[in-house]
Amino acid sequence: MADEPKPAPPKPAAGAPKAPPPPAEMAATPWEGELPSALKEQFGDAILECSSYLGQNFVRVAPGAAIPVLEYLKLEQDFDYLVDVTAVDYPKRAERFDLVYILYSFARNERIRIKTRIPEGYRPESAVSVHLTANWLEREVYDMFGIEFANHPDLRRILMPDDWQGHPLRKDYSILQMDQRWVQENLGIESGQ
Amino acid sequence: MAEKTFLDSTELVLNMGPQHPSTHGVLRVILKLDGEKIIGTDCVIGYLHRGVEKIAENRTYAMFAPYVDRMDYVAAVSNGLGYCLAVEKLLNIEAPPRAQVTRVILTELNRIASHLLWLGTHALDIGATTPLFYVMREREEILNIFEKYCGARLTTHAFRIGGLQYELYEEFEADVLRFCDWFLPRVDEYEELLTENRIWVDRLKGVGILNAEDCKAYGVTGPVLRAAGVEWDLRRAQPYSGYQQYEFKIPTGQNGDTYDRYLVRMEEMRQSVRIIRQAVERIEPGPIMAKVPKVLKPPPGEVYVSIEAPKGELGYFVVSDGSTQPYRVRVRPPSFVNLQALDKMARGGLIADIVAIIGTFDIVLGEIDR
Amino acid sequence: MKRFFRTVFLVDLLQGLWLTFRYQHPKNIYTEEYPAVRPKVAERYRGAPRLNTNPETGETLCIACNLCALACPENLIVVGSERNEQTKRKELTTFTYDTSRCMFCGLCEDACPVDALELTQDFELATYTREGQIWDRQMLEEGPRPTKYKF
Repeated sequence: MADEPKPAPPKPAAGAPKAPPPPAEMAATPWEGELPSALKEQFGDAILECSSYLGQNFVRVAPGAAIPVLEYLKLEQDFDYLVDVTAVDYPKRAERFDLVYILYSFARNERIRIKTRIPEGYRPESAVSVHLTANWLEREVYDMFGIEFANHPDLRRILMPDDWQGHPLRKDYSILQMDQRWVQENLGIESGQ
Repeated sequence: MAEKTFLDSTELVLNMGPQHPSTHGVLRVILKLDGEKIIGTDCVIGYLHRGVEKIAENRTYAMFAPYVDRMDYVAAVSNGLGYCLAVEKLLNIEAPPRAQVTRVILTELNRIASHLLWLGTHALDIGATTPLFYVMREREEILNIFEKYCGARLTTHAFRIGGLQYELYEEFEADVLRFCDWFLPRVDEYEELLTENRIWVDRLKGVGILNAEDCKAYGVTGPVLRAAGVEWDLRRAQPYSGYQQYEFKIPTGQNGDTYDRYLVRMEEMRQSVRIIRQAVERIEPGPIMAKVPKVLKPPPGEVYVSIEAPKGELGYFVVSDGSTQPYRVRVRPPSFVNLQALDKMARGGLIADIVAIIGTFDIVLGEIDR
Repeated sequence: MKRFFRTVFLVDLLQGLWLTFRYQHPKNIYTEEYPAVRPKVAERYRGAPRLNTNPETGETLCIACNLCALACPENLIVVGSERNEQTKRKELTTFTYDTSRCMFCGLCEDACPVDALELTQDFELATYTREGQIWDRQMLEEGPRPTKYKF
């Protein structure tokens, strides 16, 4: 068989793989300016960190404050376009998921990221009340990560079949894993592999 | 109270299934109809879901690049450009000028190819069969240039992280300029076939109107947003890969209906030719690859880079944890976000309009489902 | 008045039809008649893989360094080698390439330091069985033999 002198190429592991080690800290620099000061003044303690990395600004907020911050940014600061809602899974951390909202302002031509850390089982408020774009984007986050959004008008799976068990993009879901029961019931074959 | 007769219609739920010639892929639209008028739609997607984001967590940065082409398979070069720009930003390197100019030329050729395919399939859905064959002929020329340059026509894998892999072949500039000269009159030919044609105008004018506030509320970008009157293009607002050096017009429409989107895309093709001509003059000799370590290990961090793909804003959110494999790659597909506005645009129209509306969004299911 | 004539006499439709009519001339035909005429693909085309051999001695150029197997995103190359005691170098014994899963991305070709593995211009790779898609060293060195039909 092939020997591996260099960092190993991905080997598909059967069953549950080891979760990757928690990431080292990002070398972010603090972000000063008019916008962080306005946010801190408005929300005080809910704003945990205002930093910037590689020229891209982000703000880390407490979980319950994400939607009020989005609302404030939309109404007062012209960030009227929600570019993306996504999540990152850090299974070794107590607050497992990192929910990320990326916003853009047409008037200022500026992008900003709002991040919150939420534990498993926490149900964040849906952003649909602020930005209509969040509808499908949050459905995808629910589908892939299992984060349920409270007050979402239509929370069901979007990419996976409706009765699929499991949330694929979590780190403890192996790349070869599938919902055997669904495959056997619906496709009539033993396994997809 | 009037008596109910057998002529009273109730709501009909019709399935425009995943297998349908006009849905541009495996898109399932469930229509709620009152007679022929649409009163509600629901899109079911996920038939082409291949788990690209999961695959990214199991491949190294350079190995993942061929997979990105397969998302928006109609315009594969843009996907590669977005990914390479995102990883280059994480590594904090910039491609050399020769590579940047070549990237611009190939990306604009790719934009023309994508809009051509859009035109052919959209016209086919409306009923005009001829433009499909003409655009395939033009696309052949573009794909021949891609093939001569990087070896593949559709899934090009043209760019590498840090620059380009392949040196420009000898007749590249001559081929590209000859294509530009040959192509511009063809755009006029398409306009001759379609723009004043009464059937075309009747089918498209006033159909699927989405005004500027709705576009911004739904996060719709690309030609759909520009047809609503917002003059916004990522190549102008947040330039990448040297786009600030080129002069081009951003076409906009007034009403935000399907006809305006058609005009915007035709004009975008002409502007792309203009950019290509300017870029060809700027090709200068030099290296094509920046100094990139053999084993790519970006420092831990995250970055979001987006480009103006032919369909809208294509964004890559790459999270790195310091190892050779990305921790998370999130692709923000323009067609996915644009398709949400389908419900708003289709209500009140007829079934024939929904075919026109799906066509005018220019969706590619590979991108929506990833 | 002009609008009236344009509408009644279908001027806009006739304009389009005239364009289509112009294309009826045989010199405007673009169709390539495959398989009677096989297209000439570019030099850099990423098609069927081939293991190159030294033209004079017939020995393989592959040094069994395994870089192609490491570079492949799909892990479909398996390189078997054994150590030659006299020259103290690795020699290639078996080389397996699974074309059914290959993306033809070209990363293996880029990784090979001696230009032994190359993606050629053959694009006719169909076989009747799944096993026929897994190529061993002999098939890689000779190349695919598509059936040439005579008309």
